[in-house]
Amino acid sequence: MVEKYMILSIILFSIGIVGLISRRNIIVIYMSVELLLNAVNLSLIAISADLGDSAAQVISLIVIAIAASEAALFMSLFVVLFRSKGSLDANVFDMLGDKND
Amino acid sequence: MQNDIIFTILALLTIVSSIVMISAHRPIDSALSFIVTLVSIAALFGLVNATFLFAVQIIIYAGAILTLILFIIMFLNIKEENLPDEKYKNWWLLGTSVIVLPFAIILIKLVTMSDISVNNIPSENFGSIHDVGLKLFSQWVLPFELVSIHLLVALIGSVTLSKRGN
Amino acid sequence: MTNSSLLNILLLSPLVSGTLIFLINFFTKKTKQYIYTFLALTGSGISAIIALYISYNSYFNHKVFESNLFTWIDIADFTIEVGLKADALSSFMILFVAPVSFLIHIYATGYMDKDKSYGRFFIYFNYFIFFMFLLVLADNPVMMYVGWEGVGLISYVLVAFYFKDIENTYAGNKAFIVNRIGDFGFLGALMLIFINIGSGGLSFEAIFLNLNSIDSATLTLIAFLLFVGAMGKSAQIPLYIWLPDAMAGPTPVSALIHAATMVTGGIYMVSRFAPLYNIAVDISLFISYIGAFSALLAAVIATRQYDIKKILAYSTMSQLGFMFMALGVGAYSTALFHMFTHAFFKGLLFMGAGAIIVAFHHKQDIRKLRGIRKAVPSIFIMMLIGTLTITAIPPLSAFISKDAIMSSLFASGHYDIFAIALISSLLTVFYMFRMLFVLFYSNKSKKAEHPSAKSMIYPMAVLTVLSVFAGFLNLPEIFGGEANITTWLALPNKTLFVSHTNEIILMSINTLLILAVIVYTYKRYAYTDTIMKESETSIVANKFYVDEIYNKIVVKPLYSLSFFFSNTISKRLIDDLILGSAFNFKKLGRVFAALQNGNVRFYSLYMLLGVVVGFVYLFFLLKDVL
Repeated sequence: MVEKYMILSIILFSIGIVGLISRRNIIVIYMSVELLLNAVNLSLIAISADLGDSAAQVISLIVIAIAASEAALFMSLFVVLFRSKGSLDANVFDMLGDKND
Repeated sequence: MQNDIIFTILALLTIVSSIVMISAHRPIDSALSFIVTLVSIAALFGLVNATFLFAVQIIIYAGAILTLILFIIMFLNIKEENLPDEKYKNWWLLGTSVIVLPFAIILIKLVTMSDISVNNIPSENFGSIHDVGLKLFSQWVLPFELVSIHLLVALIGSVTLSKRGN
Repeated sequence: MTNSSLLNILLLSPLVSGTLIFLINFFTKKTKQYIYTFLALTGSGISAIIALYISYNSYFNHKVFESNLFTWIDIADFTIEVGLKADALSSFMILFVAPVSFLIHIYATGYMDKDKSYGRFFIYFNYFIFFMFLLVLADNPVMMYVGWEGVGLISYVLVAFYFKDIENTYAGNKAFIVNRIGDFGFLGALMLIFINIGSGGLSFEAIFLNLNSIDSATLTLIAFLLFVGAMGKSAQIPLYIWLPDAMAGPTPVSALIHAATMVTGGIYMVSRFAPLYNIAVDISLFISYIGAFSALLAAVIATRQYDIKKILAYSTMSQLGFMFMALGVGAYSTALFHMFTHAFFKGLLFMGAGAIIVAFHHKQDIRKLRGIRKAVPSIFIMMLIGTLTITAIPPLSAFISKDAIMSSLFASGHYDIFAIALISSLLTVFYMFRMLFVLFYSNKSKKAEHPSAKSMIYPMAVLTVLSVFAGFLNLPEIFGGEANITTWLALPNKTLFVSHTNEIILMSINTLLILAVIVYTYKRYAYTDTIMKESETSIVANKFYVDEIYNKIVVKPLYSLSFFFSNTISKRLIDDLILGSAFNFKKLGRVFAALQNGNVRFYSLYMLLGVVVGFVYLFFLLKDVL
């Protein structure tokens, strides 16, 4: 049983990575990140079921809490970014790079 | 036997909805299919008797986080011109999945090849709120406190970030 | 004064005076000319006095002076000592080198009077005699090589003295480069000697002791290579082309270096290696033939030259040919004695030419200098005596020395060489008297524009006297003398015997022929205008186009080869490759710089790629374990 869960978790993780890299819409990028977290949670729960120990569920709970705080920050970031550039395109925010000739 | 069927249905649901999520053009469509993903993951949690987390997932993830996302999406009043013009979205998706494929396959191979299932017999109240709460407040109290500070920081941070700068 | 310190002073005094002149010249702007004169003359004068003393001692008391200065290199088998030795041969050399150098120094103070580079000239002149002494007094061939190279270097510097005119610099280059080719031969011979017998020490005594342990093929090679060095230094075929061009230097340079001292370095070297050449008889014969042909070629070319100094230059080459002919048949002392007398009369002739040049504002073409007898009578007398000497009229000195050479050649049995020698000496008479008659016995007359300085006339007078009387130092038995110098030198001469009657017959025939040629030349050139009608463009007048041939065969291919290396290989292959790779590296860098475009998605893509690659690699590593 636990193997199936692990396989599912790996698949979801890969889907999350694909979405993270391929999309230009920052909201979709954020949701892919959340998907990654969820995949990890899934695998944690599976292991917890296998071991019969609830410790993994506690970890999972904490991960969810952190995801919540991350969501709050992301949202305020969206508001700020949208206000400054008026677009939701990830390619527009390139101030990290250097001025290329 | 039943478990397997339910698991298969739920797994398929999760995968399909997550694929829809990453490939939808409008963010609202992605958000809505994400809700489906989250609920099915919660169901998967429930399938292994992790009842507390099943509830927590639905309440916090689907209920709070996704609601926040939907709220922001609607608040920002996104029009068509604000969305990025992703001409090659499908090619990108295909290409990236090709790159990720070996990664996934290797991991799956690792998992299936190795002998990881221990198959302990869980106790009576495995996964119940009583059990998890006991663990949380005895062994894991330090992370619990830290998480609360973390939430506080996130709160202050988000308020600061979104102030109109002066 | 001990023996060795005398030798050291002899060697070092011109070095010291030269360096002093250099320092004064370098550090001060306007120095009085007499300071330089004093230093230069002191330097060479001290050497001259000591040289006379040493030769006197060597001749009368058979003393050998030695001095070991220091050990230069000492590595296992290879030890070079900086040592000087004045045995009979070296004492004989410095007997005439030192005083003649001193006399020419005096002459040069008059010739270079009021010249802008007066000081510079005497630095080089003094350094030259230092190197010449080193060449002659060295007790091992390596030190001799040092002196050999040194005189070559100074010769280059002095020929190109008036370097503002580029032709002079080319002449200097030619002198040095052709000399260098000869030096290569010398060095090769030194290396062969070292390889074969170097472990026994490298001084001359040690070499001659061990000479028999070298096999004959190598010995022949060594002898040949040494002679290549002599070819370059003493201007024999095929390395003679530098000597006529070297007349571009000031006349004291020609007098000292290219008449009396440097060019005789080759003769000295062959005499020094006499034991070697007695064994390698093939090379000795080769030397004779080269000498013969050089003498003949030079004499023929000289018959159609119009520049005073060039005529004298070719005559030097011809006389050197005579000396090599004698050396080749084994008559070493005879050759050396001719060298001795040659220094005097050739130095005299060059000095006279220089005096004429100065007196007539640097005109050198004899066709423009006709009829100067009334203008410079003293020079006329001395040039007349010099010319008579070189043509070997009895009883002047060259008669004795040249006749000794002819007798040796006749006695050696090589009648072809003897015939060539005879023809060359008759040609010598012809072209020397041609010069004399055109200059001094002509219908035209010219006025002198500059009176000759006393400092130029007096040394010439001394040399005139010596040219007349020096022959008596080695009078052969036929005249009642005892061949003093030959006995003194005690070189391993081959015994060449000519009966007295044969010798007298030879001498008489020779003298008659010479007188006949003089009469013929008189009829042709004295008080006539024949010289003006002689063409300038004939093959002979153009030196048989040898320079042009060398240019085509040797110089141009070498030049294009080096051009090929410098342009094609060095520039295109190596430079472009390196610069090109640097440029492409920069371009590659720019490609990589595009990766940093600030787009976070790209960054995550790269991270993913890296992780995937790592995973695949890890998988293949662990495939068999799992």
